[in-house]
Amino acid sequence: MNLSAPSDVLRSVPRNPLPARAGVGLRAPHHLEVLQRPGAAAWFEAHTENYFADGGAHVQALTRIRADHPLSLHGVGLSLGSTDALNVAHLAKVRRAVARFEPALLSEHLSWSSVDEHFANDLLPLPYTEEAIRHLGHRIVQTQDFLGRQILIENVSSYLQYECSRLTEWEFLAGVAAQSGCGILLDLNNIYVAAQNHGFDPWRYLDAIDPRSVKEIHLAGHDRVQIEGHELLIDTHGAPVCDAVWELYRGAVERFGALPTLIEWDTDIPTLDVLLAEAAKADAVRTCAHAQLA
Amino acid sequence: MQAIAGGEADAAAAGIAAQYIAAQGIPPAARLNVYAGTARANFIASLVSSYPAVRRLVGEDYFAQCARGFHRRHPSRSGDLQPAGLGFAQFLVELHGDDEYRYLGEVARLEWLIQEALLAADHRPFDLAKLGEVAAEDYDELRFQLHPSVRLFASPYPCVHIWQENLDAAEPEPIDLSEGADRVLLMRSREGGLVFLRLSRGEERFLRAVEGGERFGAAVAAGGAQDAQEHAEVEVEADAEADAEAEADADAGTFDATAALQRFVMAGAIVDF
Repeated sequence: MNLSAPSDVLRSVPRNPLPARAGVGLRAPHHLEVLQRPGAAAWFEAHTENYFADGGAHVQALTRIRADHPLSLHGVGLSLGSTDALNVAHLAKVRRAVARFEPALLSEHLSWSSVDEHFANDLLPLPYTEEAIRHLGHRIVQTQDFLGRQILIENVSSYLQYECSRLTEWEFLAGVAAQSGCGILLDLNNIYVAAQNHGFDPWRYLDAIDPRSVKEIHLAGHDRVQIEGHELLIDTHGAPVCDAVWELYRGAVERFGALPTLIEWDTDIPTLDVLLAEAAKADAVRTCAHAQLA
Repeated sequence: MQAIAGGEADAAAAGIAAQYIAAQGIPPAARLNVYAGTARANFIASLVSSYPAVRRLVGEDYFAQCARGFHRRHPSRSGDLQPAGLGFAQFLVELHGDDEYRYLGEVARLEWLIQEALLAADHRPFDLAKLGEVAAEDYDELRFQLHPSVRLFASPYPCVHIWQENLDAAEPEPIDLSEGADRVLLMRSREGGLVFLRLSRGEERFLRAVEGGERFGAAVAAGGAQDAQEHAEVEVEADAEADAEAEADADAGTFDATAALQRFVMAGAIVDF
């Protein structure tokens, strides 16, 4: 593995690029229906780790779904921000999944999940410092070199901020992208959740991101809980996209143009038709925002 | 990891949290707890998906209690939660190995093998023409290969029956733990479902030898072997059960290698050599 400077990463052209339309997150309960209704969604995104198996029904289903649809693979377990050694065994499985399923886009998170090789299996926020930019940027470069292609990094929802943070999240994300050459997967629900939880203006976040680096957008729903008299928004991916996030999406289309946009739903998974209806709504919002621009 | 009493752990975590995390109204420890709760819930959900029958047998609350205890002792070591449940069967044996729920660990062991079978690599069907090119007298030298999804399972309890009764939504029937031991080969079918083949003792010994990489000749010898202890067991079993399987075992010394090879090739359990 080349551990040195960025970043002559191969930018292989995917065989089947994602259209600038809304796709849906592929979840196992929908495998059969998706196979029976090819083309029902414009594209799918699958969690990379869910297809790590050597073989079996899920791997077979995704192979067949991939034959009919553009695909993106979205990882949740690489723990890129951790100070543990970069997990080469995990990376090798990602590489095998990339070879098998030929995703048009490959993404991971602006987060960490492990310490001393113990995994929280959750997306923990990083301290926003120059040191953390160098650390994460370096690990993304290593990852891209290992995989031979660019990855996208997604901003995460967060429920805490560190005393030692010196940068805003958008400065941090932009810094990581600039240092590593990664693309950005902008999750508008996560921006909204973090903005509500930490009291910043989500529109400032959008304004600070270089349009050239954004390759994909995520939309999802969240939940609200009360903790000791204070409201906290929790990123559950278990509800429809809220009005404020649709508003952000209009703004994002104006700023970044039409991009592949994903409807994510992970808890209390509804029928495929509910997801397709959310995707149709995203297509309508995007088309409308574009028409107003023109 | 050193086990710490819950209260002390909470206090220690709150102290550490306050050093690094901004309060902003909600106390730092409560903010950390949101993440701890999600991590625990994700871990338990992974165990539920690996052990649906055990969960059904003990109920949601007790399963969650066991899963939390297991999580404290065996935190996830991987960014992928699929392997997180490895060792849960042993954990249940340590909890219940000596009481009336001693079968729980055995059912968990079966469920782990089922998960392994469902995730194992695919393999093309046996190429009979290739076997036809081998002279009969050379068979003894062949090392047959099992399908990557094949798992051998033996237990003193009727775990496969317990597992089947506890999979669907209907009310499970009571199962008599003394109805008989399990000795099965399980594997994934070509359609992706599970196949269980009941084995005679000879077949089990034969398959374990094949699994261990023995040549056919040695595996056949293993299939036909029968130790003194087994003789005694067979007699006791024959008294107690007198079912067809026990009768078949009574003449385990006459293990039929040709029939066994044919059976496991036709079932797709032996796929190559």
